[in-house]
Amino acid sequence: MKVDIGPVTRLEGHLSIHTTVENNVITNAKSVGEMFRGFEVLLRGRDPLDAQQITQRICGVCPYAHGIASSYAQENAYGLKVPPNGRILHNLIQGANHLYDYLLHFYQLCGLDFVDVTAILKYKGSDSDLVTLKDWVKAELASKSSFPAAPFLPRLSGRYISDDEINIGALKHYIESLEIQKKANKASAIFGGKFPHATAIFPGGCTQEPTMDYLASYRSLILEVRDFIHKKYIPDILAVAAAFPKYWSIGQSRGGFLSFGLMPLGPELDSKRLFASGVLSGKRMAQVDFDAIREDVKYSRYSSPSGLKVKDGELIPSVHKSNAYSWVKAPRYQGKVMEVGPTARILVDYLQNNNVQVRKLVDKFAGMAGIQADNLNSVLGRHLCRAITAVVVADFLLDEIERIDIGGLYMAQYDLPRSGEGFGATEASRGALLHYIRVENYKIEKYECVVPTTWNCSPMDDKDQSGALESALIGTRVANPEEQIESNRIVHSFDPCLGCAVH
Amino acid sequence: MIDRREFLKMAACLSVSFGISNFPTVISAALKKIDYKTVPRLIYLQGQSCTGCSISLLQAESPNAVSMITRYSKLSFHADLSATSGKQALNLIEEYIAGRAGEYFLAFEGAIPWGMPEACVIGKRPLDHYLTAAAKTMSGAVAIGTCATYGGIPAAEGNLTDAVSLKEFYKRKKLNPLLIDIPGCSVHPDWVWKTIIHLVQVGLPELINGRPKSFFHRKVHEICPRYHDFQQEIFAQSLGQKGCLFKLGCLGPDTHADCPTRWWNGGQTWCIGANAPCIGCASPMFASKKNFPFYRSFEKAVLRTSEGNK
Repeated sequence: MKVDIGPVTRLEGHLSIHTTVENNVITNAKSVGEMFRGFEVLLRGRDPLDAQQITQRICGVCPYAHGIASSYAQENAYGLKVPPNGRILHNLIQGANHLYDYLLHFYQLCGLDFVDVTAILKYKGSDSDLVTLKDWVKAELASKSSFPAAPFLPRLSGRYISDDEINIGALKHYIESLEIQKKANKASAIFGGKFPHATAIFPGGCTQEPTMDYLASYRSLILEVRDFIHKKYIPDILAVAAAFPKYWSIGQSRGGFLSFGLMPLGPELDSKRLFASGVLSGKRMAQVDFDAIREDVKYSRYSSPSGLKVKDGELIPSVHKSNAYSWVKAPRYQGKVMEVGPTARILVDYLQNNNVQVRKLVDKFAGMAGIQADNLNSVLGRHLCRAITAVVVADFLLDEIERIDIGGLYMAQYDLPRSGEGFGATEASRGALLHYIRVENYKIEKYECVVPTTWNCSPMDDKDQSGALESALIGTRVANPEEQIESNRIVHSFDPCLGCAVH
Repeated sequence: MIDRREFLKMAACLSVSFGISNFPTVISAALKKIDYKTVPRLIYLQGQSCTGCSISLLQAESPNAVSMITRYSKLSFHADLSATSGKQALNLIEEYIAGRAGEYFLAFEGAIPWGMPEACVIGKRPLDHYLTAAAKTMSGAVAIGTCATYGGIPAAEGNLTDAVSLKEFYKRKKLNPLLIDIPGCSVHPDWVWKTIIHLVQVGLPELINGRPKSFFHRKVHEICPRYHDFQQEIFAQSLGQKGCLFKLGCLGPDTHADCPTRWWNGGQTWCIGANAPCIGCASPMFASKKNFPFYRSFEKAVLRTSEGNK
C-alpha cells in the first residue's frame, strides 16, 4: 500500500514522505520537499555584502550558519586577512547557535516522539511549571474543545515511555530548555546584534567590539547552557536510549558521510578546525574536494541540466516535469549518496583522531550504551552525536573567550574587489554547509548553496540511488502503516530543514 | 503610599506609552484576570517562510512562549510544535478552516507563491486552498513577519514565484478578512504576543498602515540613542566603528519600529547597539531592490577606504 505521511511536523518547513508499505515494512520511500523560493536567483545582480544578510533568511532556525558560510565565501573571494578577534567572534556567534539548536531539536522537535505527555496528569509534586501544565491539560481535556490540549495532543499512536518519572522530568525539561535556548541565543546575539538573523556578522569579523563587559555576559550565559547540557540534556538522551534501545539500529542511512569541519582554530580559513572535515566512503577517509560535488535534478522540479558542479549551478523551475517529485536537488559526492550532520561530523573527526575530547566522549558513551561505532548511524546515534558536539562546543567557547585580545581589531579592513570567487564551508547544526560566490563588476554574478538537508532529504539521483533519509526509511518495520510513528522518529533524527534544503 | 486613584492614573500614563490609550476600558480590562477558556485559538500556518519568526516568538521573555500558547492564547496548530502529524494534522487544520472546530485566529508566516501555487504545498493541496478557506471562517488573521506582511525576500526583485504578502493575496482573491500586519525579519516576539494580549484583553489595537501603532508609529532614527551622534555629525566611517551609522547605509530613518527602545533577545542587545546598520527589515521595501544594497557609502566613506575599527 502507498501511504503519504506528510506533512511531517516538528521540523523546519514543508516535508512529506511518500511511502510504500508491504507487510508492515517500508519498501520504498520518497522524500518530498514542498516549498520553493529561489534564493540563488534572487541573489544575482545584488551587492556582494547583501549576501550574508539575505542567505541568513534561507533558514531562521540556523541563520548564523548561513551568515558564517557566506562570510567565509566572501573572505575567500576578497582575499581578506581576518584579525584573530574577528575569527573568534565568528566562532562565539556560531557556537552558541549550535547549542540552542540541539536543545530545540531534542526537546521541542523530537521529545513528543518518545515522551508520554498524558503522564502529567499523574503528577503529585509542587513544581509550579508542572502544576500549571497539569491544571491546564486537565481543564483542556474537560472542555468541549474539538482538539483539547493542542499542540501536545492529538498525537500519533505508538508506544511512548512508560516510566512516569522520566516522562514528567522530560516535560519539565521541555519547558526549562526553552529558557536555556534563549540564553544561548542571547549569548550569540551579543555579538550578532540579534537572533534570529544577525546583522552584525560580516566577512572578516563582526561589528560589535568584544569588551570585557560583553565577554563576561557571554561567558555567564554559556556556563548556564553548559550546565543544562550536562545535567539535563545528556541524561535525557540516555533515558530515551534506555527506553528505545532498538533505535540504535533503526534508521541507518546507506551511503557515506561528509563533514566540512566546524570552527577554525586560527584566523585563516584553512586552519585546523575544532571538528575535522573529511569524507568517509565505506572504510575510506579522504579530504574534501568541492569539485567532486554534483547536483542531480532528474527527480527534482528543475529543467536546468543535471549533474552540474556547484560553481556551474543553475536553477530553472519546471513545475510539471514528469517523474520529478521534490523541490530538493540531489547532491552527490563522486556520485555517492552522503549523510551529513552530527553523525558524519563525529565519525569524520573520530576516525581522523582530530579532537581528543571527541574520541573520549564517543568511547565513554558507546561503552555506557553498549554500542559500536556503526550504531552511530541510527536514530539514537544522531541524537548522541549532537550531544557530543554540544559538550565539545560549550567547552571550546569558554576557552575561546580567553583568546580574545581586548582592544585588538575585530573586523577586517577591506576594499571590495571588482571581481573574485570563493567557497565558504562550515558545519551548520544540521551538517555540511557550502556557499559559493562569484563577483563580477562589484555585483554577485553567481551564488550557490549546497545545504545540509539538501544532502539528507534529497530525492533519487540520476542513477536512481535514494537519498540518505530515503535509504534510512526503506526496510523499517512500522506497526501502524497509516501513521508510522517509527518513520517520524527517523525523519526527526535527521533534523530536516526544508527551507534550507530547497532555498 | 499611592492610592488606587493615583495608581490608575499612572497605569493610564503607562498604557499611553504602550499606545493602547484609545480604549477607555483599558484599565479595567488590564486588571481583569485572564480567563483561559475565552482566549483565542491560533492556527499557525507557514508559507514561503524560513521559520525565523516562529523561532523569534520562542524568544519571548515576559510573558514567555509557554504562557503565550497556553494561557494568553491556545496554539491549536503549529507545524514546528504540534505533536500531531500527517493526515491527523491535516484533519485538524481542515476542521478549523471549515468552521467546524470553533472560533480561531489565523497566524500566518511567510509569503504566498501567487504565480506558482505548487511552490508551497501542505499535504496534497497548495497553500492557496487553506488561506482561501480560512478567510471565510476565521475571526481574523495576524500576518507575522515581513514576508507575510509585504512579501519580504521571497518577493524580492527577480523572484520566480510571484510571491505576495497575505494582504495582497486576499486583495487579489477579492476577500477582505480582518488583518493585522506585524512586519520584521524576523518579527520581534513582543510585537506579536503583545498584540495578541491586546486582542484578548481589549480588542483590536489601533493600527497605522495595518500595523499596531504602539510598536510601529515612530521611525528607528527618531528614537535612536545615537541620534545625538547624528546631530553632532559623529559618523561611523567603516564597519565596526561606533557613532551614527547613517553613512554606512543605516535604514533607521526609513524604518518604522521600536527596536531602539525595546531591544532584542530579552533586552540583551539590538542591531545598532552592536554597531550594525539597520537594514530596514520591518520596512515595506525590505531587500526588495537589487540596486539598493543594505550597505551604501554616501560619501565614499565606507567599504573601499576603511580606516580600522576605531
